Amino acid sequence: MTDQIREQMSALLDGELPRGEVDLLVRRMARDAELKRAFGNYVLAGESLRAPGGVMAGKGFAARVSAAIDAEESASPVAEQPAPSSAPSRWRRPLAATAVAASAALAAVLLVRPDSGDSQQFAERSGAPATVPVVTLPVGGASPTPAQNQRLAGYLVTHGQYATPIGRRAAWSNALATDPGIARVTYEPAEAR
Amino acid sequence: MMPMANFPPSDGSTEPHEPRDDAARPGSGVEQSDLELVRRVQRGERGAFDLLVLRYQHKVVKLVARLLRDPTEAEDVAQEAFVKAYRALGSFRGDSAFYTWLYRIAVNTARNTMASRQRRPLDYEADLSESEQSAVESRMRHVDTPEAAALSEEIHSTVNSAIEALPEDLRTAIILREVEGLSYEEIAEAMDCPVGTVRSRIFRAREAIDRSLKPLLD
Repeated sequence: MTDQIREQMSALLDGELPRGEVDLLVRRMARDAELKRAFGNYVLAGESLRAPGGVMAGKGFAARVSAAIDAEESASPVAEQPAPSSAPSRWRRPLAATAVAASAALAAVLLVRPDSGDSQQFAERSGAPATVPVVTLPVGGASPTPAQNQRLAGYLVTHGQYATPIGRRAAWSNALATDPGIARVTYEPAEAR
Repeated sequence: MMPMANFPPSDGSTEPHEPRDDAARPGSGVEQSDLELVRRVQRGERGAFDLLVLRYQHKVVKLVARLLRDPTEAEDVAQEAFVKAYRALGSFRGDSAFYTWLYRIAVNTARNTMASRQRRPLDYEADLSESEQSAVESRMRHVDTPEAAALSEEIHSTVNSAIEALPEDLRTAIILREVEGLSYEEIAEAMDCPVGTVRSRIFRAREAIDRSLKPLLD
C-alpha cells in the first residue's frame, strides 16, 4: 500500500497522476510527514541532476513557510484561506467590524498580539533573531473613531502580511508615513526574553 | 559510467545542452498538475499549497539568491514570496503557468527588499542568457557559506552515486524524465515499453535515490 502511494506521489511530481487519484493522495500527504519528506527528496534529486551545486533551499524550508502562514493566520483571527477574488474584502470586513466593536485597549491588543509569542516561535523556527517587538500607544486622548479603527484594522492586515523582521519594519514605516492620524503609534524591537 | 553532466543528449547531438525544465513547457503535465493543486488550495486544502512549496522551493531560493547577490538572505525573502503567493492565490486564474506567476512574486519581493535597503537591484530580465546565468551561479558558489556549499556538493555526489548504481532501465527512465524533461508517453516511446512500466521505473529510481539521501538529510 505504501509503495502504491509513493508511486502515485512520484507520478504527481511529474504531472502524470490521473486527476481522479490526486484528491485522496493530496489529503494523505497533508497529514503524513514521511510522505512529504520523501516528496521533497524526489524534488531534490531532480534539481540536483539538472543543476548540480549552487544555492538550494535548506532543510525545513517548506516547514518554515507553513509555520509563517500559520502564524499569520493565527494573528488575524478571522483570516481565512485564499478564496476567489473577493478575498481581500472578506478579510477586511470582519476585521473592520471587530475593530469598530472593540475599545482602544482592544485595538492596542490587536496591534501587540502579532508581535508576541507567535513571532517569537516563528523566529525560533526560522532561525531569525529572537526579538519581541513592543508597540506603545499614547496615554490619554479620545477613543478612536470608527474610521481610525478601520485604519488600524488595515494596518493589522498589512502587518500580518510580513513575517520577517525586515518586512515588519518596512510595513510599519510605510503605515506610519502614509497615515499621520495614527502617527503616535511607535514600534520598537525589544531584547529577547 | 559517464558523469551525469556529460550524459549524451537524446537527439544525438554532441553539443552540451541545458536540461529541459518541464515547468516551463506550456500545457505540460506539470503545469496541469500545478493548476489542480492551486484549485485545491483555493477550495481550502492547505496541504496542496505545501506540495507546491516543496516542488518550487529550490527554484525560488535559487532565483532570489541571484537577485539579491546574497544567498544568506535568500531563504528569508523566498519564504516571504511564498507567503505572499499563498495570500494572493485567490486571485490566480490560471492565465499563466503557476510557476511564472510565482516567479513574478519572487522577483518583486526581492526587488522590494533591495529597494528597502537602498541598494541597486540586479537588473533582471525574465531570462538571463546562458553565459550570464552560469556566471551568476559561479559567483554565487563563491559566496555560499562553506557548510551550505559542502552539503550541496554532498547531495549532488550522493544522487550521482545512487543513479550510477541503478539498473540500466531505471537509470535511463529517470534521466529521460529529470534531465531531458520527457513525458511518460515520450519515454515509453523512446524505451519501447508501456507507460505504466515507465511510471514504475521512475518511481523505483526515485526510491533508490531517496534511500541514499535520507541518512544525509535526516
